[in-house]
Parts: sequence; C-alpha cells; structure tokens
Amino acid sequence: MRDYLVFQLYGPLAAWGDIAVGETRPSAMTPTKSAVLGLVAAALGLRRPDTARTEAERAEWESRHIALAEGYGMAVRIEALGLPLTDYHTAQVPSSGTGKNRKVFSTRRGELTHGHKSDLNTILSRREYRQDAFYAVAIWARGNSPYTLHELRRALLEPCFMLYLGRKSCPLALPLQPEVKSAEAVEDALASMHLEGILARVAEAGGDAGWTKLYTRFQPSAPLLLWDGDAETRLLPEQTIIRRDATLSRRSWQFTVRDEHQAHLGQGGQL
Amino acid sequence: MTTFLQLHLLTSYPPACLNRDDLNRPKTAVMGGVPRLRVSSQSLKRAWRISDTFHEKVSDQMGIRSKELGRRMRDALLNGVALADLLKPGTLQAEPDGKVSDENATKWAWMIAGEFVDKKTKDGEEETEGEEPEGKSKKKVKKPNVSKETLKSEQIVFYSQKEIEVLGTLIQSLRESGRPPTAEQLRVLKVKEANGSADLALFGRMLASSPDFNVDAACQVAHAITVHRAAVEDDFFTAVDDLNTREVDAGSAHMGEQGFGAGLFYSYVCIDCDLLKENLGGDAELTGKTIKALVEAAATVAPTGKQNSFANRAWAPYVLAEKGSRQPRGLSLAFMKPVNEYGEGMIVNAMTALDTMRTNLDKVYHSGQPLPSESINALTGEGDFQKLLDFATGSGGV
Repeated sequence: MRDYLVFQLYGPLAAWGDIAVGETRPSAMTPTKSAVLGLVAAALGLRRPDTARTEAERAEWESRHIALAEGYGMAVRIEALGLPLTDYHTAQVPSSGTGKNRKVFSTRRGELTHGHKSDLNTILSRREYRQDAFYAVAIWARGNSPYTLHELRRALLEPCFMLYLGRKSCPLALPLQPEVKSAEAVEDALASMHLEGILARVAEAGGDAGWTKLYTRFQPSAPLLLWDGDAETRLLPEQTIIRRDATLSRRSWQFTVRDEHQAHLGQGGQL
Repeated sequence: MTTFLQLHLLTSYPPACLNRDDLNRPKTAVMGGVPRLRVSSQSLKRAWRISDTFHEKVSDQMGIRSKELGRRMRDALLNGVALADLLKPGTLQAEPDGKVSDENATKWAWMIAGEFVDKKTKDGEEETEGEEPEGKSKKKVKKPNVSKETLKSEQIVFYSQKEIEVLGTLIQSLRESGRPPTAEQLRVLKVKEANGSADLALFGRMLASSPDFNVDAACQVAHAITVHRAAVEDDFFTAVDDLNTREVDAGSAHMGEQGFGAGLFYSYVCIDCDLLKENLGGDAELTGKTIKALVEAAATVAPTGKQNSFANRAWAPYVLAEKGSRQPRGLSLAFMKPVNEYGEGMIVNAMTALDTMRTNLDKVYHSGQPLPSESINALTGEGDFQKLLDFATGSGGV
C-alpha cells in the first residue's frame, strides 16, 4: 500500500526530448522523467540554474532540481500514443562578430533589421512532436523526497510558472486534475485515469451527445504502462528499456540512465 | 500565487501560405485524427515581435530622432547638465566645470554614439582601432559611422526615452569615475531600452556567451491549428512571356506549383504576468504596456509568409481573455471534433464550441466557477477591444 499523486497530461502537441545532437531535435514516444519532473518543478517555482544571476543561486536551484529528480518514482499509463509530427523549423540570425565586434541586440526586430539582409543566416532544425497523445502519470515519494505528495498536488493546482508538455509551445489542453490516492499497486492508482471516462465527463457536462465520440478521435489502443524499478506492481515487464532521462545536472544539461519497465494492460487496467 | 493571462483567438485566413515547410508547402498537423493546417508558434512570435504594432504600443512615448545626440552627450559630460535637460527645446548652456577634459568628453561621447549606428568596414584599408585601450589589432576593423570631429552620425538615429534615461545615468557615472566607458557599459546601453526589455521579458533569450542576458520567457504560445479539416491545396500557375510572338509555340514561359490553404485557426497564448513584471524589473507600467502590445499584436498581426502573393492579413474576429491563478489550459479540445460550416456557419460554430468547452471544463474541474474574462466578437459586434485591453493590461500590476 502506497500513496500516489496521479495526474493527466494532454495537449494537442507534446514533445519528449530525446538525445539531441545538432539539427534534429527528436521526441520520444512516451514522456521522459526529466520532462514530467520539470513540469512539477515549474509548478513549485523552481528556477533553472542557467538563468541564475549568482553562483550561490545557481548551486541552490541545482540542488533542488536534483532532490526532486531523485526523490520520486514515476509510472505512466498511455492509452493513446498519438502520431509523430516533424516540424521544419528555421530561425534567422545575424552573423556574429568576434571579440569586441560582437553585438547584443535588444529586440528581435533590431536583430533582423539592423544590418543588411545578406548578413542574416538561417539555422535549421527539425523538431519532433507527438500529436493526439494522452498520458496519465503516477508519482510516489521515495525516502528522500523534498516535498509531500499533497504539497506537489497544491503546486500543480496553482502553479508558480506555466506548465507545458516538454516544449514551451505545447500547453496543456486539459487540467492536470492532480489527486493523491492510496493503492495496492501503481496500476490500481492509475485505473481511474481513463481517457474515455474523462472525455465522457467533459461531454456530459455540456449535455452534448456529439462530444462522446471524442474518445474515438484519439485512436486509443491497449493501454501501456511504464514504470520505474521501485514501483509496487503486479505486472511483469514485457520489456525493459534504458532511458537517458534521469536528471544528473540541470546546470550542464546532463542526464543519466534509468531502467524503465513496460507492459500492456488488459481491460480496465488489470492484468 | 501567480497571475496567468490566457488568450484564446480565432482567426480566419483566406488562401495563404503563412508558414512553410522545407517543401514550400503550408505546415500541417493532425488533431482528432483529422488533418489540419498549422502555423508554428515560432512563426507567430516572429511576426508579433518584429511588428510595428508591438513596438509602437510598448514605447507609447515619443523618442528622439537625431544625428546630434553625440554632441549633446559631450556637453553633458563637460558641464554636468543632465542629458535629458540638454535635449529639451531651448537648449540650456552651461560652462564646462573641468571635471572631464574636452578631449575625453569628445572621445567618450564618440564611443557611446557609435553604439547606436551601423558600423561600416572600409574595404582594403588597414586600420587600427586606436580608440580602444589595447589598440593592438592590425586587422581591418569596423568603424562606427560617427564623425570623430563633429560627433554627428551619418544616419538619423532613433533613441527611445528609456535609452536617453540610461545614457544620462551612464554619463553621470563617467563624470564621477573619470574613466572611459567599459565594453560592458556600452554593451548594455541598448539592452535596457523599453522595446528591448519588453521583447526579451516576453519571449526570453538564451545566450551561451553572455549568461547575464539570459531571460526565461514569460509568455507561452501554442501552434495555431485549424478548427476544421483542411488539406494543403496546390495552385498550378504559369507565367507568360510577353515577347513570345507565338511563331514557334504559344506555351508559357514558366510553370510552377504553390501549396496553399485557407482556414479558421485557433491560437492560444498564456502570459505569466508575475514573471513578466519581474523580468521588467518590477515596472508595473511597462508590464501593462507590454501585455497590451502583445494582445494587440496577437489579434491583428499575421505572419507575413507569401504576403505579396496572397495578401493574407487578418484580424481575429473572436478574442477571449481569461485571468487568474488557476492552472492554465488551452481549449483546443473544443476542436478535436472538427467544426463544420453547417448551422450558423463555421465561425459561429467554432465560437460556440470554444465557449461550450470552456464551460464544460469549468463544470467538471472547477465546480462551474469560470475565471474572470473579457471577450470580443466582431461578427455580432459584441464586446469592446479597448475594454479587453484594459482587462488584460490590468494584470500588469499583478
């Protein structure tokens, strides 16, 4: 028996940053632990070390992020994995000078209009997203957790900073509805986070029968559960993958590996 | 508690190619299993940030256009009169008080004025940068277009009120220290101006080389997606050769294809008013102006892609602004089921779907309690944009 903080993640677009070197900024199919805890950190008002002004602040925020990353276990239930989207992204940048010549522009407008058009270069990137995906998350506290689950819940209800699904341009499109629940196994805690049930409630509230068809628009499949090694579960992993999404340092953007077990759930979230 | 200002906009674009992919076709996305047209958040933000609308609303004050500011700065350095006073009509004269030598005043004013104008490289000339303390470089350097003798710039330069204020402070500190401006002091001159602060405070900046300038964006913009099924269409076009006499053939001189699409887009913007105010150094008035500038730009500025071919300027006929500390959420779920044109027509149906979704979400998640809001509906003529702006701007004080 354990307490869980469960909440849902839905937006038309989501992006779960995978190892990114150079032009392609890939997205994993399922949420990364660093992104989910990043969202929790934003709700709590933890700042990013790289926007700190002093070394002391930097160290302080770094340690709070690490405490968060190490203090909680995570499981995710997915009924709709969604479709991939690759966005072809360009950004114009003026040639940067060297030494004393380097210019800092105060506005984007200044940057683009200050010099000659021929001085503008284009940087390309391909940014991957997931479309139409729905995730339910369960978080449990480990021995060294810096906040109680109730504190996390309150933060999620009235967050300090804005929340998003992996990339700032991916806002939430359903409230997270965080709840603290006790359950024998993590799959039981997540059993109530049924996409169909959630959409039916929203549809019924308006008394519009047409909305009940919303569920089918998500192309749901047999739910998939992903869980951290220390989860309490009756499931046996169908496969275990190694993901590099455990925050090692927010400051230098370093992540270490984590074992993630995966298995499909039957009807109603049971074995 | 953080105050979030959420904007929901419906904007209808005629056939256009607002935001293109690598194949020169409009960007798309799938929502609710149905293909849609999409305008990326990056494209929207770029259009807003570089628009006149945004910059005019933020400044909301008269700056000065002048070639002469360098001379005024020299005077201020010499006699200690505040720069802002020197710029007033009927320039007051004061005798140099000897705190700063004539030579230094001229040199420093020249260095400062140089920050505001385009730099020009003189081709084929080997120049040394004698004005810099090190002065070792033998390389070709870029020289500011400010005359060292007259201190006049070649172009007429726009200085905002905020910039003049910052310049005045810099001049006072130079007079006190008796030292030339440092590279760092020169660098931050323009960063501190109002337009710049507003732009950076809203949209953020990461500079690996100068972390001091890093700002976490206070604004979140979603990709705009059509509320209905929409596919990219192809315009097949030909161009005729006016001098083709048709003796050999009567064909066209050029054939091509251009992807385009028309659609009613839902866009969502969320502003963290507290972070914005913090990014603006606690200036509530500027925060209000910045919010106003963004709301106006979001409602009236369109991405300029293929503007000359499609003239795709559009204003949002429907804008809903919500304000509160509750966890923000977009309302795109309203359009999972694509909106059709039956009944009252597509725009009205989309507005209804948006309002219904808002009500339903509030019922299910917040016991039916809506957030304070303000909206305009240009189809029915309901609402007043000024009132909506006032409502939004009110969050500036947080």
